[in-house]
Amino acid sequence: MEGAVLAVPAIGFNAVYAVLRFANFAVASIATVGAYAGWMANTALGWPVAPSLLVAFLVAGVVGVLADEAALRPLRPSGALTTAIASVALAIVLENALRFLFGNDPRGFDLPVYRDWRGFGLHVGPQQVRDAGAAVVAMAALFGFLAFTRAGKTMRAVADNPMLASLKGIDAVRIGRIASFTGLGLVGFGGMLIALDTQVDPLTGFRVLLSIFAAAVVGGLGSIPGAVMGAFLIGIGEEVSLLVFPATYRGAVGFLAILLMLSFRPAGLLGQRVS
Amino acid sequence: MLITRRAALAAGLGAPFIRLARAADEPLRVGALCPLTGAGGQYGPSMVKVIQAAADEINQAGGIAGRQIAVTVADTQTNPDAGVAGGHKLIDLDRVSAVVGTWASAVTTAVAPLCWEAKVMLFTVSGADSITKLPHQGYIIRTQPNTYLQMTRATQFLLDNKAKRVFALAAQTPFAVDSYNRITEVLKAGGAEAVGQIVYDSKQTSFRSELDRAIAEKPDTLFFNSYAPDLAVLLRELYQAGYDGHRITPGYAATPTTLSSLQPELTNGLWSFAPSPDLDSPAYAAVQKILGTQTPDPYSCQVYDHMNLIALAVAKSGQTTGVAIHDAIRAVSQGDGQAVHSAIEGMPLLATGKAVNYSGASGPCDFTPEGDIITCKFRFDMVEDGKPKLLSLS
Repeated sequence: MEGAVLAVPAIGFNAVYAVLRFANFAVASIATVGAYAGWMANTALGWPVAPSLLVAFLVAGVVGVLADEAALRPLRPSGALTTAIASVALAIVLENALRFLFGNDPRGFDLPVYRDWRGFGLHVGPQQVRDAGAAVVAMAALFGFLAFTRAGKTMRAVADNPMLASLKGIDAVRIGRIASFTGLGLVGFGGMLIALDTQVDPLTGFRVLLSIFAAAVVGGLGSIPGAVMGAFLIGIGEEVSLLVFPATYRGAVGFLAILLMLSFRPAGLLGQRVS
Repeated sequence: MLITRRAALAAGLGAPFIRLARAADEPLRVGALCPLTGAGGQYGPSMVKVIQAAADEINQAGGIAGRQIAVTVADTQTNPDAGVAGGHKLIDLDRVSAVVGTWASAVTTAVAPLCWEAKVMLFTVSGADSITKLPHQGYIIRTQPNTYLQMTRATQFLLDNKAKRVFALAAQTPFAVDSYNRITEVLKAGGAEAVGQIVYDSKQTSFRSELDRAIAEKPDTLFFNSYAPDLAVLLRELYQAGYDGHRITPGYAATPTTLSSLQPELTNGLWSFAPSPDLDSPAYAAVQKILGTQTPDPYSCQVYDHMNLIALAVAKSGQTTGVAIHDAIRAVSQGDGQAVHSAIEGMPLLATGKAVNYSGASGPCDFTPEGDIITCKFRFDMVEDGKPKLLSLS
């Protein structure tokens, strides 16, 4: 279940990487922006989970594109590393903007809590099922967008071969904005899913940044199905590790995974070979 | 501009006098190194507000024999790396004589060596026992009861409430293991049992597996040695898992804002324990006024005392260095002197050669040679309808 929730921001991260070719670490704070946006829709407007998730997606997408235009697009000609470093700074700026607006206090959603469903010696939370379901819907929607819409197909073209795409007359800047909007919108959607299980505060997204990055690297940077696989592998790997290691070391699983993957298969499970 | 020989000579002869004149006006530099962000972010801003207000209060009353107090603030982000960076800035760049207000034990442990090596006094509100066991040569003063004292009182409360099987879930901190050892000792002496502990990484977004393991041991009480963000997740998942036994946690995790962000079903019946400020002290009233609340948090009360103790120590010794504060601190914090509740009250007495004994908002402020407080009060609360309700104070 946790794998499903982490998969959504990991997909967003990889979508941005696939088209714009840089690691956008601002996802940490974009996820938090999505969490706050969804929270406001839920508590100030009284909306239930589904429309609030949509608000999270839209607001995070818009903020992501605007931030990208202001801070990151001007630096992309200087290279992927420079842009990635700038994205770290952007994450800090956004986090503190949220802190300035909302303070450090934790916020919770206005939703009922349910006990787990029990059966066959297992127990499953309705909340977790709902969140996993939302993640699956988001992934299906993304798949539909990429496979069947013109904008989606154009995005895939640019991701596959930017040179050929520009020769064909595709406007790289416009596609870049669509990729940022979609990818970062998904990150915000995922941020709200995480906040539903934890809490809304300026660090909601930051706490999971390294897990998202681990899932993206393990699955293969730039690969969307890879991000899903990576997230599930890491989620399952962390649970399985509890059979062997004490719970204190659970966080290390993600990083062991990155280490092993980069040592033996740097492109990740489904990523493209780096020539 | 041509500098004539005469001008140069005059400047050269005058320079030492200019420096001497400045030395007497040198302010007392204090660094506020607090968690403005991160897990301690609910406390840092008010701690800084109180530190600055205490300095302003003293400055407006004429300072310490004419010397003003200058406060510089740095954010630890409740994270040792940032804490050390902040500590370096305060000590090396701002040249403070004292660092006040480090909150998380991990941060204090990282910052302490910087302080004692530079002979800068560190006043902390952290609880981990290991802190005062460091080789600090007297440069650490701690107003928070240490882990040993806190766990003794908390576990005694559990015994008084008929707990028999206690399982602990602790965030990874310097005090996790020491806490559990003391809990185990006290339970055993009281005829009860500690049935296990899991130490977890507080950044996780889910603790379902950890909670399953805890519940499998059939405890009647769960001890959450947590910080606020992880407590929120734990309480929610515990409710989902169908646990209905007792739960206890430190007061800094079950803060009013954390409780109000959670549905009441998740928090009803939760016990919390916290060291209590001295509610009858005039120093406590001063902190209430500064923060504009009837219930200031215990850390803000402690840093108010830190500032007043520093001012009294400087007034006693006549010097502003860390060494001077280090040497004079216990002469003003305890002993046979006249009881005072603020630096403004005590400085005139010191000026006439009398001895003072400061007692503050956080308690008597009497310190052992290692820097721990000798005693303080504790309060125990239970959450009802999303708000903590006082059960007992002693």
